Amino acid sequence: MSDAPRDIGLAELQDALEKPETRLLDLRPIEAFNGWPLRGEARGGHIPGAIPFPFAWTRYRLEVHELLREHGATPERSIVLYGYDAGESRQMAELLDGIGCRDVRCYDRFVEQWAADRSLPLERMPRYDRLVCPAWVRELAENRRDGRPSVICHSHYDCIDDYHRGHIPGAIALNTNDLESPETWNRRSPEELRLALAAHGITRNATVVVYGRFSFPSNDDPYPGQAAGHLGAMRCAAILLWAGVEDVRVLNGGMNRWEEAGLPVSTEPTRPTPATDYGGEIPGRPEVFVDTPEAKRLLASDDGELASVRSWDEFVGRVSGYHYIERKGRIPGAVFADCGSDAYHMENYRNLDYTTRNYEAIAAMWERAGLTPDKHVAFYCGTGWRGSEAFFNAWLMGWPRVSVYDGGWMEWSSDPANPIATGEPSRAEDTIDAS
Amino acid sequence: MPTLNELTTDELISTFRGLEGWEDRFEYILDLAKQVPELDESERTDETRLTGCVSQVWVKTAVTQDDPPRFEFVANSDAAIVTGLIAVLMVVYNGRPVDEVADADPLAVLREMDLETHLSPTRRNGLHAMVERIRGDAGAPGVRS
Repeated sequence: MSDAPRDIGLAELQDALEKPETRLLDLRPIEAFNGWPLRGEARGGHIPGAIPFPFAWTRYRLEVHELLREHGATPERSIVLYGYDAGESRQMAELLDGIGCRDVRCYDRFVEQWAADRSLPLERMPRYDRLVCPAWVRELAENRRDGRPSVICHSHYDCIDDYHRGHIPGAIALNTNDLESPETWNRRSPEELRLALAAHGITRNATVVVYGRFSFPSNDDPYPGQAAGHLGAMRCAAILLWAGVEDVRVLNGGMNRWEEAGLPVSTEPTRPTPATDYGGEIPGRPEVFVDTPEAKRLLASDDGELASVRSWDEFVGRVSGYHYIERKGRIPGAVFADCGSDAYHMENYRNLDYTTRNYEAIAAMWERAGLTPDKHVAFYCGTGWRGSEAFFNAWLMGWPRVSVYDGGWMEWSSDPANPIATGEPSRAEDTIDAS
Repeated sequence: MPTLNELTTDELISTFRGLEGWEDRFEYILDLAKQVPELDESERTDETRLTGCVSQVWVKTAVTQDDPPRFEFVANSDAAIVTGLIAVLMVVYNGRPVDEVADADPLAVLREMDLETHLSPTRRNGLHAMVERIRGDAGAPGVRS
């Protein structure tokens, strides 16, 4: 097929968007979909109804066909592509030809036409700028961004070797144990946090970027969390928000994405520059965490939900999920907010390159489960990492009342007076075991 | 073309690299996937199921009565590409003396196939989990035989 018949103009695109068989794919980096104007466009965001499919994913050559199908690019659909680069759109169109798609067209004027025309709708994630791309972090690391003092943190769970293996140049090491207690796995006390943050040079008014490395955690490992560094970084982000740090950001996709982008990696440690004081009251955002009494209140209320960010096997009580937690089951009345395969994976919240999944798809998944932004939703898991990642997603989406139930399954199940449910949930939760 | 059971690692690498484009390579991996024997439903248990993998995967390993005893495994997945990667691992591992399983380097084979950098991090994670299971089982021969 020649290029010419592929072109689609504004009016044709608008017509196509009215039709249910149309699938609109946004080929730009996921951050552009979320809201970052990466090419100097007048407005950031995406065309309503678009599905993000970053062109970079075409490098996964054996998987790209399957991925396209998963994202709704199937032969019976009319597919429209748009992005920053007409050449990429044409390459993608050819790829779609190869899997039998017969109606593939390209809209090439997103930047100068759609984004520039304020009468055309554009959607974005409310706090899109708190989820940053590698290029943004690189500018920060090289002091090419004016403004606040900044600290870039390579998060690890008591595994400094993970930092020494390679980190972003200029990033300091941040042990999750400095922010959460290794006894309860809850956030540390305000006074402990004040000291820990100051020791890392983190002050209330700083820009703090956190990230970690994901390196194949296995539930059979003695310390699986050591290989789930980016999940730990999400936990750190939640605790930093609770403390009140004004500008907390997460590197989308963590160290893996930085490395995939071919950016420089350092093995030279950077020592933190301690601050004399954190410089504010802790907690600055107390609403970020709830504890067991508040979790029980939410369960009993009409406008609150506890969201279990666990795997199905944990939810129905087949496994506890952790080798250091004995009891199996769930908090009766909790809503299943499926994390994915196990306690150290979040497949339902991430793309295959570990970037955060399309926020609209996450919100749709939650809505199907009964989690909506009009409610106070407290996310929990076993000890708080997965709950923190789900919370961070909801916070990015601008949900007004979202929290992490810090104690989670570990704290709940440690009190024999608390009821436990197992098996597939029924409306009456009639399998409650309060032994 | 040799069947999955007859393929050597070298033949696998040279056949794969000899294919012109990724479309053909994709088809070749799917062809290998079709040759992976199916596990019975009774063999798809919690014991054989692999955790930490986005796709459903069941791994059944065994050690033969030969002298020296040899390692064999079959795995199934609900995803075709994962089954194709299972086939690659079967070529690498099956028939090896058990005490040589630890010496096999499937990631090096994937690199030589020019495949490793074209797999997403999520799939690499799943592959890693499978390799860990195989190595673990070979270290405890007979546990799941």
